[in-house]
Amino acid sequence: MYVAKFICILMPCVTVAVFVAGMVGRLRNWNRAGAARIPLFPTPATPWQMWKRILVESLTFGQLCDGNRSLWIGTWAFHLFLFMVLIGHTMLITDLNTLWKNLGFEYGRADRIGAAIGGTAGLVLLVAAIYLLTRRLSSARVREISSLEDYVSIALILAVVISGDLMRFSSYFDTAPVREFFPGLVGLQITAIPHNRFLLIHLFFAQVLIMYVPFSKLVHIPGVFYTKSALYRC
Amino acid sequence: MGLQSKMLQQAELDKAIEAVKAIRNGPMVLQLYMDICTKCGTCARQCHVSQSDPDCYANPAMRSDRLRRIYNAERSVLKKVLWSVGLVNGNGLTARDLQAWAKDFYSCSGCRRCAKFCPLGIDNSVITRKARSILHSIGLTPGKISTIQQFDDRFGNGEGISPPTAVEIADFLEGELVEQYGVAIKVPIDRKADVLFVTSGGEILSYPETLMGCAAFFHAAGIDWTLSSYAFDAANFGLFTGDDAHMKEKNRRLHEASMNLGVEKLVIGECGHAYRVATQIGGANYWGKDIPYQITSIFVLAAEVIRKRGVKLDSSQNPMAVTYHDPCNYARSTGLTEEPREVLRACAGNFLEMTPNRDYNWCCGAGGGLAVLDGGEGVHGMDSFHKYRMTCTGKKKLEQIDQTGAAYVAAPCFNCKRQIGQLMEYHRREVAVGSVFELVGKAIVFRG
Repeated sequence: MYVAKFICILMPCVTVAVFVAGMVGRLRNWNRAGAARIPLFPTPATPWQMWKRILVESLTFGQLCDGNRSLWIGTWAFHLFLFMVLIGHTMLITDLNTLWKNLGFEYGRADRIGAAIGGTAGLVLLVAAIYLLTRRLSSARVREISSLEDYVSIALILAVVISGDLMRFSSYFDTAPVREFFPGLVGLQITAIPHNRFLLIHLFFAQVLIMYVPFSKLVHIPGVFYTKSALYRC
Repeated sequence: MGLQSKMLQQAELDKAIEAVKAIRNGPMVLQLYMDICTKCGTCARQCHVSQSDPDCYANPAMRSDRLRRIYNAERSVLKKVLWSVGLVNGNGLTARDLQAWAKDFYSCSGCRRCAKFCPLGIDNSVITRKARSILHSIGLTPGKISTIQQFDDRFGNGEGISPPTAVEIADFLEGELVEQYGVAIKVPIDRKADVLFVTSGGEILSYPETLMGCAAFFHAAGIDWTLSSYAFDAANFGLFTGDDAHMKEKNRRLHEASMNLGVEKLVIGECGHAYRVATQIGGANYWGKDIPYQITSIFVLAAEVIRKRGVKLDSSQNPMAVTYHDPCNYARSTGLTEEPREVLRACAGNFLEMTPNRDYNWCCGAGGGLAVLDGGEGVHGMDSFHKYRMTCTGKKKLEQIDQTGAAYVAAPCFNCKRQIGQLMEYHRREVAVGSVFELVGKAIVFRG
């Protein structure tokens, strides 16, 4: 019970605080140094083309497609399904019942469709994450540049994905209590804590991962837009 | 390679550590490169050093990690805590580290090919240059490179040529030109003219065919040009050693000579990094947006003239199969890829492309000043730096040239030309290596 209370009530406050403070600090450091220009030709002709190119590269990982085909498939699938899963999770903390009703879906049906898509994404994510770890361990050239930080990052992601998948596939998991609890927490209205072993494990590792982002290489998600704009600035 | 295996004092170590810490104040990209590398290993698949033999293997991410580790260890309290339990990779700086830096960061040629493929937009050459600047500040720049810088500081050129000697060289080349063409082609120096022509001083001395080709071209095109004994050499080793003050000072000579001679155009010859420094780093960035002259490349100028049929070129004078090597500082750092090809196609009948080419071209293996390093300790088990360049860093270029089957490699950069020339000699290939304007000189037809 104490564990559940810690993970569901106290820890989210810490997580949000650490993530926001860490991210603000990191972005402030980057911005303080001022934008640099180290053009890598051929460069786009206009700012609009520059941002278009950065957007396309961030969505397709096109350079990897040319430079490292197998990694491209693995990491692109990983990031794409990670993104899908994140979108899926927002359904848990937003009230979409009204929306589904207006679109003509019953709540139960919408939930089942969500479960099917989310479940598939969770499995693909698992396979992709295992691929990334295997690749790191098996390729001599990647292993020699890997440090504990790299293994911790992927281990955390695996822990989150595995506990999430177990939660979904081990037995029927009713999302209704979660839907009630977290919006409640945001409004400081604490309702009954949802009880599920896997949910607690999932929440714990997910929050550790979120807190780890600003201080580790996982900060590459916002960072890549800075580096690319330095290379392509016209 | 003349790396001083000198004993490092604590004061020097502290200086290096302070310099690493200062990355926190910028430049922004360097800070980002320290923070966001995910160690995916893609750079190693696209680096000519990594792709050579296993015994001289180097990994760009591992090299950059040398700097990253120190940076992380010297970061904020939180990073320090994470680092101390191993959650963030890092360690303190030791004298042994710095000796390893000196070898590692002078095995990277700063060609930026990895940046073309990095999914996170990391340009390892920026990290290399930063590490080199730290090495330079504590006197660990390879002997030959730092000697050239010292000559630069004293004479304004890396060869130690005094102004009277420069004038003599110009006179001598005029004589050679008359002998070769039977036409009174001038090599003007220190005259008021429309165009100030500057190129690598080393090339003028040891490969004068290029300058002679340029002189013939200027003559045939009727361009009023001059050399400068004050800015005789456009090479700028400040780019290689990471010494910003030196880079600016050397660039100032070009600016001052252009102002004093009242030229309309400052034209950079066949020298990749000189063109990069003059256009991308120096020039307007150093001396203000309203500099009264235009900075351009001999290739841009020549392509314009050729398009307007301002010179007559007979491509049958160069019947052999010619291939073109894209120097990294042209293709990736200044975007100069089409004009040299236009010039080359106009003066050589049988032009072949290397694969890959343009901004994806493989480095010659001696960029970033490595071409001048020959003997000494070598790198990573090699008995000399020359052997290292021949058997490791140049391997990809050799394969590429072999594939084209060309008999002549046009390398419009003195650095690349020296490396590729030595490669062909070392591996006993019957391939000539020269410049584009040497071919222009051969193909040029004088009217009347």
